[in-house]
Amino acid sequence: MSGHILKNYDDELRFLKNNVLEMGGEVIEALEKSVKGLLQGDREICAEVVDEDEVIDSHEKKIDELGMSILLRFNPVASDLRQVLSSINICRSLERIGDHAVNIAKRSRKILKGALCEEVRLVDPLFIKAHEIVSASLTAYSDIDERKAHQVIKMDGLVDELHRSLSKNLSSTIAEHGGPNTESLLHILFISRSLERIGDLAVNIAEDIVFITSAEDIRHT
Amino acid sequence: MNDPSTILESQDVAAPTSGTIIDIDDLSFSYDLGKTNTLRNISLDIPAGKVTAFIGPSGCGKSTLIRCLNRMNDLVDTAKVTSGKISIMGQDIHAPDVDAIELRKHVGMVFQKYNPFPKSIYENVAYGLRVQGIKKKSILDQAVEESLQKSALWSEVKDRLNTSALGLSGGQQQRLCIARTIAVKPQIVLMDEPCSALDPIATARIEELIAELQQDFTIVIVTHNMQQATRVSDRTAFFYLGELVEYDDTQAIFGNPSKKQTEDYVSGRFG
Repeated sequence: MSGHILKNYDDELRFLKNNVLEMGGEVIEALEKSVKGLLQGDREICAEVVDEDEVIDSHEKKIDELGMSILLRFNPVASDLRQVLSSINICRSLERIGDHAVNIAKRSRKILKGALCEEVRLVDPLFIKAHEIVSASLTAYSDIDERKAHQVIKMDGLVDELHRSLSKNLSSTIAEHGGPNTESLLHILFISRSLERIGDLAVNIAEDIVFITSAEDIRHT
Repeated sequence: MNDPSTILESQDVAAPTSGTIIDIDDLSFSYDLGKTNTLRNISLDIPAGKVTAFIGPSGCGKSTLIRCLNRMNDLVDTAKVTSGKISIMGQDIHAPDVDAIELRKHVGMVFQKYNPFPKSIYENVAYGLRVQGIKKKSILDQAVEESLQKSALWSEVKDRLNTSALGLSGGQQQRLCIARTIAVKPQIVLMDEPCSALDPIATARIEELIAELQQDFTIVIVTHNMQQATRVSDRTAFFYLGELVEYDDTQAIFGNPSKKQTEDYVSGRFG
């Protein structure tokens, strides 16, 4: 699409998008660190995730300000308006993914305080898929690509399946063996739940991208 | 039902509240006796009881079209409808038996620059009725009050009706012109950039007034202010180089236009 007559309007829209992508990078890093801390038994990395959440939160505020400034100064309409509204929505989803990374990090620290729990390894395949779906949603946003957004929506099925299977596995382990690891197993169960929710939030991002490109609101369909 | 051939001759025709009131069918129009067409093959139906906005860059033909609707272009010697027709309430307005002066009683107009007569506020509003031969003071008094009230001006001027209209502020003068237009009870009010000479507060008052008037009149407005079109209109037509590019619900035109040219214009990608 050709540029606006007001060049700084284009600059501001680009700046908004770059900020969302930058925030996406920070969120992915937090997610990676939280699971890395768990799998490598590194409580310090987990602590970093908790501390660095402030950076993600302040990025959310900055994107809100940028969006509001564009609305005020340029009165966007049509696809420009959808892009601004969706970018604000996407940063909201990213902030929540960041919160889930913090939850994972906090639970990981608790697990690592206790005795060695072999079941933490079971989280890895689900983490890989959750990481993949968030990255794919950000690529779809970067390219404003509806086809890629629909692929993200399809990917969530596998994330849900892995979560269901892990929950079932952990629940039966708790029921059959219980013992001193029960608390850690429950934490892993919640970590699995967080990763599944991260998949849902990536779907929300994909739905926003479809709204930008086609003006179609496919939420709750 | 009213007989279409006489509908524009009767002053007491009730304004239709639904359906199409103005039917523009394949209209082409020229300012130079047909050498070049300023408007080309325009077709659109304007709904009764709604506000329809015409938007587009300067020179796109939106003002020319609105001036066709009450035959204001008849005042230009070389102006000519080269094809198609405009029907209002079923009547072809260019039919030989339709008198342009009579037509303008039904299709009133408010201009970009407020233009009250150098008379009192009262006489400005009563002017159209006096031209129609109404002399009875009680009828004139009632019509003046009613029109000023509908134009949201009554409370501001009721104590100085006999003072000069030229002493009013710009926004008040424009509302007075609206009162003068509606005093003769037209079915349609055309507004050609009615707020372009007004400050934001006076503009807001006129916009509020448009929403009120919509209950009694069909309004067609030409505006360069796209935020104004989104605020006041139900339907929007986008014109470019004398052609109608897109005509749809205002929400669709500004939310998700179907033509790229419309999207480029409303989002500021070309002037």
